[in-house]
Amino acid sequence: MRKLFFLSLLLVPAFLFGQDTEKEKNWQLSGYVKNLQTLLFFNDAYPDLQNFRLVDTFLQDNLIHNRLNFQWYPNEHFTFYAEARNRIFYGDLVKATPDYGRQIDDVNNDYFDLSAVLLDQNGWAIHTMLDRIYLEYVNGNWEVRLGRQRVNWGISTVWNPNDVFNAFSFTDFDYEERPGSDALRVRYYTGFASSVEIVTKAFDHWDEATIAGLWRFNKWQYDFQLLGGYTEGFLTLGGGWAGNISTAGFKGEFNYFRGLQDGLQDAFAATIGLDYSFANSTYVNLGLLYNDQGSTTAPIGGLFSFELSARNLYPYRWAIFTQVSKPITPLLNSGLALIYSPVPVHPLFINPSLTYSIKENWDLDLVGQLVFNRNERYTSPIQAAFMRLKFSF
Amino acid sequence: MRHKLIYLFCLFLIASAWKPLAAQELSAREIVAKADQKVRGETSQGSMKMTIIRPTWTREMSMKTWSKGTDYSLILVTGPARDKGTATLKRDKEIWNWQPSIDRVIKLPPSMMMQSWLGSDFTNDDLVRESSVVEDYAQRLLGSETIDGLPTYKIELIPNEDAPVVWGKVIVWIDKTDFIQLKTEFYDEDGYLVNTMLGKNIKVLGGKKLASRMEVIPAEEEGHKTVVEYLSMEFDQPISENFFSLQNLKRVK
Repeated sequence: MRKLFFLSLLLVPAFLFGQDTEKEKNWQLSGYVKNLQTLLFFNDAYPDLQNFRLVDTFLQDNLIHNRLNFQWYPNEHFTFYAEARNRIFYGDLVKATPDYGRQIDDVNNDYFDLSAVLLDQNGWAIHTMLDRIYLEYVNGNWEVRLGRQRVNWGISTVWNPNDVFNAFSFTDFDYEERPGSDALRVRYYTGFASSVEIVTKAFDHWDEATIAGLWRFNKWQYDFQLLGGYTEGFLTLGGGWAGNISTAGFKGEFNYFRGLQDGLQDAFAATIGLDYSFANSTYVNLGLLYNDQGSTTAPIGGLFSFELSARNLYPYRWAIFTQVSKPITPLLNSGLALIYSPVPVHPLFINPSLTYSIKENWDLDLVGQLVFNRNERYTSPIQAAFMRLKFSF
Repeated sequence: MRHKLIYLFCLFLIASAWKPLAAQELSAREIVAKADQKVRGETSQGSMKMTIIRPTWTREMSMKTWSKGTDYSLILVTGPARDKGTATLKRDKEIWNWQPSIDRVIKLPPSMMMQSWLGSDFTNDDLVRESSVVEDYAQRLLGSETIDGLPTYKIELIPNEDAPVVWGKVIVWIDKTDFIQLKTEFYDEDGYLVNTMLGKNIKVLGGKKLASRMEVIPAEEEGHKTVVEYLSMEFDQPISENFFSLQNLKRVK
């Protein structure tokens, strides 16, 4: 059945293509190739499985990553999207992790299995995946999308409790597109910044279903949204806004989840944020998250292994976010983000970055992810440094 | 930084507002007023290329633009590849940015208007303030001069006291036959020259004789220049207000 669905997605556009005789190019292919080098430093934090203790160690890993974005619009009503993500992993962590390929394989699939491990041996893994493949039909104010797509309901800057169709790892900055959902999305635009939509994900059992509706509208120069629906055993209600206080951006989101079965805990998350850009291009972004599923006692390591969902956006109950970015020269930009949680371990996540424009389509990024917590003294058990070279085409 | 394009575009709207009608007997104010009214009330669409030139590097960006008056505009980046497909919508004071890679529209804080784009040669207020060249300035005809072999009116613009304008003074040279703005000098409040804008490569675009190439040259920075070339322009084609919507922001090609 899954294969049939996949095939029909491929065949529908093929049929449309046959109808088309226009000379003007009706397709686009774009993408990028990037190389990400990761250095991981563990300070009494790497599990030595033979001796059952935590040790110091240093790991180096590499990822060559290619993305292909294909769009084809045979006529004004239909657009077909297919986007592939091909990745080659090699390095210490790949070597040290048995079945590395298999472990990464199933992370970002939704209902359908649209990925494959092409190689998984000797510290090398090659993985390919279609994270978008959908057909879009547009007619007047109607828009219908069917297939694997990104349903992005976030409206605020840092955390998105309203983003109920997505889950992703918090520290995975290298996957800005984020995974897709196998879904049907029907949307009607009621004005220049307002719309009503209903989305359902593909499912076999109710406990893996997500069906929700979103209403967006614009009032007093603010964008507002309200959502409600059912998501994996929970009833959910939420909302958000994006507007301005004077010339600063003022955004927020909140979501409430009510468990419908025994063992499903109710959850509430809310976030609020301000961002401002100074005349000299320095950008400041402040945010606050309350997440009642977050722990007040969890240790620090959770930050790197934490699986995010709209129900649980951060490992800790409260989080304060501060970000400053500033161009050092027009081509070299610097940034620093800090996330602090006022809980007993006092976790502090520090994320410095430098981005350099080498040429129009060549970018070089240096990114650090440092985690501090308070034991006897303020220590940093895990540090990560990334160097990324990206070529866009 | 790409959000800044919209302000850049606003500058060119303002700049193009200084293309007065042929009217020998008009005062400086009337020339400017007619030109202003003409451009603001109408629509335009086109494609352009912007090049930022610095002593050690250059960057090029291409885009398509649609506008209606000064309240509505939509800009689609068509190159380079890394930014292709991002689009910006402006409706009155509200600005949205479309990021196709994450399938999301982001509302931008108005303070982002204040930034310059990639260190280009446009200071904040040129781009941000949609000041009226008629209402916010006092105009005075200084005389006639020849620019690139063409006779021009030389007009001085002094901002009114409470005007939302950063300049202390603007001097503009307007071609007498086709009323093309051939040269503009922007002075700060202390009377120092900040930028010079030159209109070049005069040709017919969208039925109007225009300077198809604009160069902005900062006075104090050797080897710095920003060049905008209009590749195509169309004027007065009806564009509905509905065109300037979040729905269309994602669809324009």
